[in-house]
Amino acid sequence: MDLLHGLTYGLAVSLQPGNLAACFVGVFVGTLIGVLPGIGPVATMSLLLPITFTMSPTASIIMMAGIYYGAMYGGSTTSILVNIPGEAASVVTCIDGYQMARQGRAGPALGISAMGSFIAGTFSVVGIMLLAPPLTSIALRFGPPEIFGLLLLGFTMVTYLTAGSKLKAVAMALLGLLLGTVGLDPISARPRFTYGSVTLADGLGLVPIIMGLFGVSEVLLNIGAGVEQEVFHTRIRGLLPSREDWKRSAGPIARGSVLGFLLGILPGIGAIIPTFISYALEKRLARQPERFGHGAIEGVAGPEAANNAATGGSMIPLLTIGFAPNVVMAVLLGAFLIHGVQPGPLLIKEHPDIFWGVIASMYVGNAMLLILNLPLIGLWVQLLRVPYGILFPLILIFCVIGVYSESSNVWDIVVMLAFGVLGLLMKRFGFEAAPLVLAFVLGRMAEESIRQALIMSGGRFSILLTRPLATVFVAAALIVVVLPVALPPVKRLLRTVPVD
Amino acid sequence: MTGRDRLPTAVLLAFGLVALEEARKLRFGSIARPGPGFFPVVLAAAFSLVCLVLLVGAVRGRGEDAPAAAGLGWPKIVAAMAALFAYALVLEVVGFVAATFALLLFFFRALERQRWPLALAGSLVTALLTYLVFKVWLHVQLPAGPGGG
Repeated sequence: MDLLHGLTYGLAVSLQPGNLAACFVGVFVGTLIGVLPGIGPVATMSLLLPITFTMSPTASIIMMAGIYYGAMYGGSTTSILVNIPGEAASVVTCIDGYQMARQGRAGPALGISAMGSFIAGTFSVVGIMLLAPPLTSIALRFGPPEIFGLLLLGFTMVTYLTAGSKLKAVAMALLGLLLGTVGLDPISARPRFTYGSVTLADGLGLVPIIMGLFGVSEVLLNIGAGVEQEVFHTRIRGLLPSREDWKRSAGPIARGSVLGFLLGILPGIGAIIPTFISYALEKRLARQPERFGHGAIEGVAGPEAANNAATGGSMIPLLTIGFAPNVVMAVLLGAFLIHGVQPGPLLIKEHPDIFWGVIASMYVGNAMLLILNLPLIGLWVQLLRVPYGILFPLILIFCVIGVYSESSNVWDIVVMLAFGVLGLLMKRFGFEAAPLVLAFVLGRMAEESIRQALIMSGGRFSILLTRPLATVFVAAALIVVVLPVALPPVKRLLRTVPVD
Repeated sequence: MTGRDRLPTAVLLAFGLVALEEARKLRFGSIARPGPGFFPVVLAAAFSLVCLVLLVGAVRGRGEDAPAAAGLGWPKIVAAMAALFAYALVLEVVGFVAATFALLLFFFRALERQRWPLALAGSLVTALLTYLVFKVWLHVQLPAGPGGG
């Protein structure tokens, strides 16, 4: 199937009423939770996973993906109006977006972030279409050593790119892998660390862990800190950026799109890091860098484009290799598996409706978001005025429902609460949750691939260095470790990441 | 890493060592034919090692600083957590609606200090609405109580 044929087929699939509705629900819910601080796409996708049981696989994945890129749109609204990132990938948008709002330019800030997101989202969809099919044919040659090499690269990236202590991130990744071994051994089916518990024999659930670490802990932190949201009270007028705004933003949007997309493909990156790099890049390229931090529209346009393009880029490893490059894609991978569909090199042949339908739905969804977002900003502002005291009990109840409905096991709620406490303590002591969750998800794959690789080679680790593709991955992982030390400029660029 | 890190890293190290001890009870196999214990042993050992390095760094008081955490209202957090654990334990005994009503009432009244009528009405409406939306409309599994709901 060639590209054009694939795309028209995909459009036909995504415009079927059921799929169109799923796309709408996805982007709407995504924007909603993107706007609300304290609940992100990861927790929401896990929460809604059980609801998709009755839906077709295509509609489910379309909805799940919609939540992700929808959240990227919504997150910026809160950043600009309240100076609280509605979503982690919008942290950078606070810096100049909120300043613009204070200068009475909230409208153009919201407008440029929505349009920049749309342009970047569309760009990344085209990128997926062009890159995914050739990558699929490479992925078909993957054996256990290649998979293990790729996972190694993923773990290295995710730990070396976290904002805080690298060593703590390594510890969390190892802890995630360790927690992933609870349950039956994937090869011999022997129970490990189960202690006679039926709940543990199935292994710890992904949904309770994610809801605990990302949902419950966030809520607890907010309860404890007593957040008061100060919504910007001036009326928002004139969402359309001026000609001058466009002239300033065109370059940042273009660079942000390319940067976000390419970085998004790499394992471990996700949507957050490209925003920081884009901001640093625009500041460096600007003629008057001192405007940054005081309401420079470039500082909104670039990062907002980057986070949307990254969501698209990160779909590529999932669709072509069946590899989840970040936590959100890990949840999406879970959604695929629940519906009995294995994403990977065979997806495009065996389920072209899902492959092309999901890609085309992202075009449709981006258009919906642009239409949805600009007129609905007033509604989102109202939503931000709902006091947290009313909001947090609801979020907690939704977390409980999400976890229980997936397994009908009350102990999974207990697991979620336990991870909620753990997550809170981790935040308190500067340990990142993302490496833990990603390692937990990929742990089984890592164990199977290394054990099979060792069996293949008769116990020689050198098999990772004698097969070209595996060598590339291992070498890349080494470079990630060595590069920041060897190249101070890169290090400085990464260091400009403002940690609050 | 500051002195603040001593306790958490020590706890993590202890966890790693217990995990290592437990993992060693599983069959390790050989490098050429790794058994069920191979991966957990390697992981637990590596985890313990990393925690040890972190602990040494914390005791010596050098290394990277953890971002300073704002003062947290621990009483409120502990109360909320205790309520949630109690909720999970009685959920299947009394059913979703009753348990959720009680939990919400606790949150609205005890934690957020809403007035009684508002807290009662809010909890009741929310518990019933979530039940209707998730169970009746979306057919999501929810724990049934003695009355079937």
